[in-house]
Amino acid sequence: MAPNTQTARESRSVGRSLLLTLPIVVWALLMSSAAYGHANRAQWIASAVTVLFMITLFFMMMRTSSTYRWRRWFFVALGLLFPVGFIHQVMVFRGTMGIPIEEMIAGRTPFCFLPIPLLILPAAFTKTLVFPGSILPNGGMSGGGMAAMAAVWLAVTLVVGKGWCSYACFFGGIEEGMASLPAKAKVRKIDPRWRYGPWAVLLAMVLLSLALFEPAYCMWLCPFKAVSEYVAARNTVGLIQNGIFIALFAGLVIVLPLLTKKRTQCAFFCPFGAFQSIFNKISVFEIKIDKSRCTPCVLCQKSCPTMALTDESIKQGETLMSCMKCGACVDACPKGAAVWHIRGTEVALRPERARLMFLYAAWAMSIMFAGGIIAEGLATILHIFI
Amino acid sequence: MGGIVAKLKSRLGYAGAGLTLVVAALAPFLLYPQFSKGFAHLGLHVDEIYSGGPPVRTIQATGYTIDIRGQVNPHIFQTEKPFVQLDWKPARNLPPHVSDAVDIDGDGKPDVRVSFDVPRDPKTPLRVDVDSLNPRYESMQNVGKKKFSALIVRVDDAILVRIPVKQ
Repeated sequence: MAPNTQTARESRSVGRSLLLTLPIVVWALLMSSAAYGHANRAQWIASAVTVLFMITLFFMMMRTSSTYRWRRWFFVALGLLFPVGFIHQVMVFRGTMGIPIEEMIAGRTPFCFLPIPLLILPAAFTKTLVFPGSILPNGGMSGGGMAAMAAVWLAVTLVVGKGWCSYACFFGGIEEGMASLPAKAKVRKIDPRWRYGPWAVLLAMVLLSLALFEPAYCMWLCPFKAVSEYVAARNTVGLIQNGIFIALFAGLVIVLPLLTKKRTQCAFFCPFGAFQSIFNKISVFEIKIDKSRCTPCVLCQKSCPTMALTDESIKQGETLMSCMKCGACVDACPKGAAVWHIRGTEVALRPERARLMFLYAAWAMSIMFAGGIIAEGLATILHIFI
Repeated sequence: MGGIVAKLKSRLGYAGAGLTLVVAALAPFLLYPQFSKGFAHLGLHVDEIYSGGPPVRTIQATGYTIDIRGQVNPHIFQTEKPFVQLDWKPARNLPPHVSDAVDIDGDGKPDVRVSFDVPRDPKTPLRVDVDSLNPRYESMQNVGKKKFSALIVRVDDAILVRIPVKQ
């Protein structure tokens, strides 16, 4: 080992970990005070708990030099609390989880990030957004118009690239939670061709959205409609659509993650994930395999929740472009061969510096975007008791 | 030479990482507001199948107005028919039963007679009858809100009626 290289697995003292956490403490307090200027009691408590939660997890990442297991707590909390806050909000605003046609006409359909790739071609060719939402920054159901979501997506993507899928996506946490429940995978052999699934779905949905001038994925294939809002079943077609949503959610988000210990919806289906992979090519942060240390035991490959490592990619010291920088492989590698890396720099030279820089950026984005969602979900639950 | 290139690449990498941290710190204060304003000013519009066509004329009635919007033509594979949208507003000023003959194309002759009840409870489902007085427009009997191109809905303080246009 070269004298100026280090592994990313050395634990730190409490004092040094606290010092490294200090910028995140300041950031979390700043974001919290900006978001909850006029909060009620439940929102104050939820906000305080969220700030404490995010700071504690970051501190543990600093203390243990482990990323994945602490990030997972945040991500599962986000995945579980998003539906709580969101469903409560739609019930308050319109009294039903179904999207009534008048809400679409009024441009009040909440806009999530998943349809973003589907809107690009129709918008490029006709300047038309094929989504029944509002373009205004403060429009939409509760001020979350398309402009607001597009801006958040762009800001987070510039910072973390496909890290969006590990640090900002408010859907992936449910399947990550499911995948973490069993001690061992029951289904271990998965055909690697399933990796092309998200690209196939992306291509099909982009073309279909352009042809039909509707957000085809939202209309027909989104598994998360089952836990957010659904097409109001006005006719048989509506019933079929809702049946598909529930079947996909049950299969890809609940059953398959339990059997495979993988994030199967993300790895084999999500078109947004495929689209987001493109931004891994411009992100400065990545994960590399230090070939001089790799045995190879393929523990990294086994631990990867989205199958972003293959025998060939390990030999080349790379992850596939579908890597979402969750850090599972880095934590799993007993030799410290899987490392955080800044593009252009020598592999395994100060990987902890690369990890720290990435985590500051990613955690800042998580607190800014996902922190509010966690706090909202917690506040909804607290309202029952307070 | 190779050493200099490697050093330069390394410095550029760290500069990029540092820049990313600056972007992260600026995101909520500068980037987010600028990006969302920028998006809103791209000149994009929501598909008229959802939003209805642009307002063309307003007819003044006693105590309320009827906004006539431009015809919306669906795109090639969309399953909806072409339609025009008429907005009765404000809904709070409408009589319990509305029956208006409306000149849609502005030629001085009524094209359709639109009739609907206005329930006091805004959540009560609406039903509309449209009698075609011009073969260009389709008649509708007791229609609710099954299709984007043929419906009656209440949106805020307006009642919107969409009438299919024959192709």
